[in-house]
Amino acid sequence: MKTKPWVPAVYLGPAVLVMALACLYPVLSAVQLGFFNWSMGTPWSNAQWVGLETFQRVLHEPSVWRSLKTTLLFAAIVVSIEMALGIALALALEGQVRGMAFFRTLFILPMMIAPIAVGLTWRYLFDTQFGLLNALLGALGLEPVAWLAQESSAFIAIIVADIWQWTPFVFIMMIAALANVDRSVLEAARVDGANWWQITFLVKLPMVMHIIAITLLMRLIDAFRVLEVIYILTFGGPGEATEILSLYIYKTAFVGQQLGAAAAISVLLLVVVFGLSWAALRLSNPFREKH
Amino acid sequence: MQRRHFLHSTGSAAALSVFGTGLPVASSHAQDRFAKYKGQTLVISVPSHPHYDAMMKLLPEFTKQTGIKVEADRLQILRMKDKQLLEMAKPGGDYDLVSYVVMWKGEYVKKNLIRELEPFLKNTALADPGFDMTDIVPGYLENLGLVGGPKGYLPGPGAKLYGLPYGAETSILAYRKDIFDKLNLQAPATYEDMVKLLPILKDKAGMGALTSRGQAGHQCTHAWLLHLNPMGGKVFDAQWKPVFNNATGVKALEFFQQVVVTGPAGIPAFGQGEMMTAFLQGQAAMYLDSTVIFGPVRDAAKSKVDGKVSYALHPKGVRYASQSGGLGLAIPRNAKNPDAAFLLMQWLLSKSQDVAVSKLGGAPTLLSTLSNADMVRQYPEYITLREQLKYLDLDWRPIIAEWDEINVQALGVAISEAITGKKAAQEALDGTVPKVTQIMQRGGYLKA
Repeated sequence: MKTKPWVPAVYLGPAVLVMALACLYPVLSAVQLGFFNWSMGTPWSNAQWVGLETFQRVLHEPSVWRSLKTTLLFAAIVVSIEMALGIALALALEGQVRGMAFFRTLFILPMMIAPIAVGLTWRYLFDTQFGLLNALLGALGLEPVAWLAQESSAFIAIIVADIWQWTPFVFIMMIAALANVDRSVLEAARVDGANWWQITFLVKLPMVMHIIAITLLMRLIDAFRVLEVIYILTFGGPGEATEILSLYIYKTAFVGQQLGAAAAISVLLLVVVFGLSWAALRLSNPFREKH
Repeated sequence: MQRRHFLHSTGSAAALSVFGTGLPVASSHAQDRFAKYKGQTLVISVPSHPHYDAMMKLLPEFTKQTGIKVEADRLQILRMKDKQLLEMAKPGGDYDLVSYVVMWKGEYVKKNLIRELEPFLKNTALADPGFDMTDIVPGYLENLGLVGGPKGYLPGPGAKLYGLPYGAETSILAYRKDIFDKLNLQAPATYEDMVKLLPILKDKAGMGALTSRGQAGHQCTHAWLLHLNPMGGKVFDAQWKPVFNNATGVKALEFFQQVVVTGPAGIPAFGQGEMMTAFLQGQAAMYLDSTVIFGPVRDAAKSKVDGKVSYALHPKGVRYASQSGGLGLAIPRNAKNPDAAFLLMQWLLSKSQDVAVSKLGGAPTLLSTLSNADMVRQYPEYITLREQLKYLDLDWRPIIAEWDEINVQALGVAISEAITGKKAAQEALDGTVPKVTQIMQRGGYLKA
């Protein structure tokens, strides 16, 4: 019997409606807030309509663009390294090696730790006076380094902390993907004389490209939203060296009490992330190819 | 103050005091005062801070004496504000009493979020006749409690009381007496002395000279303000025009740069905690910051320098001017139990509890505690503190709503760039004038 065209709409409609509201409402609220001058702790009825003034102001703010540049650089570095490391670790640990369960558990532990704790842990590790890194340098007879007090080393510090925490996410996604690769295809490649490199780069990874694309997309979005670790580690400093856009938005909203401006910058961030996500999906779009 | 008038005009109370029977009667009145609120649960918003760590230990006694229970919501000090604003903006909030940083007082009043205290103090059913407002350090009371006076935050015509100081502080110089004695050095009395002393200590003490905050944002601005005010500088002139980039502002920042060079390694990343730890763990010979250091110096779990530290006045530049800041207590407009909250506030600031909190590592708020012979014997630093309080600068920083943004996102970036060597002092301060001007224009202080 042929299904009537309205039946899928009835089954899927409520879920689609709830998802649309849950996803769209905060976005539309942020856009709306950008058109108003409103301060937290006052009734919404006191909010003043300012039109596009706030959007124009933040777009002419040099520190917003500096922060966006820092964010793009941070995201590009951490996501590239996390993808490479995560895939490499998954390839290394996909087989039936002794003690594999232990290593798999060990590698995903950082991801389970609350970001605030990660920030504090790394802050103590990088501490100039009492940090482990400087203790190791001291043991080697080297002078202590003020890791978080210099622009370049502070930027490296936030990159290291992010890679440490989020490489396990890539690892866990890839290990699941690799487990589902059809063994008969790999066997056929082996029978055809392919070596390990050829099997890995010409057979295995292309077969899990959808998962790689989705993982890349998720990490990219997350890299733009990271806040707590950098808040604790450097608070955006020294100067503005580690002030990524989400921290800038936080400071604008909750320190400067400029909620309209924070919303306007959030819209800018949304546009950037949307553009990058679109580019990542161009790489391999599982949604499109399923049809 | 109202309570004093009440007491003076009440002959019976005076007579009872003379005959020494005031205490039992006051105690029975106290029972009446608290009886109505027995069984209520107060929810208070307080920070993780040495003074409030000490206060937490007093709360079981308050409950025992009054039958009023207290639940504390403790947060990192700078993150309290978001939650307090959200709670206090609701029709019925969860908080009955909030601890606030001095910077927030004007904003809370402007947004009609906290209550004026005069009605509570005038309410004879609530106010304790023994509660003596004149015993509160006047500078603390004016700085933390008054809103609506000159400039919006100074004492004078129009000022009303909205909060009481609790965890208030000023700045003081702490130094390693053992090191100074060994090197035959005197504690610096002036900034000129400090300038000479920094390289000597760096070379000869085997540790950093002066510890300091330095992290980008609020922390490094705070450190610069500590030097700016004694040197005679201000952030704005009388018409709210930025003047922080004048010769005095630059001199204060250049001094700060010297502190970084001669201090313990890593100052540009130091928050208040790291700054204090460097001194407490013997990594710096001097500390010039909040009086909150008194308690931790004596805390064996945190300090390696107990018994080796002496205190001196915040050095003089062209004048003496020490920090005015810290925390106060206020009752939210939407508190469910405002009367019981006032009773707690009043109890915490009673003479006996101020002594108790000070003994537990908190900061004294009352003049009587600072001159209590037993306490002074135990805490000789109170002698220096009493002297320092004469130089409390109530206009140490502008307490206006726009300050947080200027503090963190303008000056806090420029000063950080100067102390990390990215920019010269003059260049860094000049570079942030347009942003500060724009913020002040937006706030209506300056014409666009």
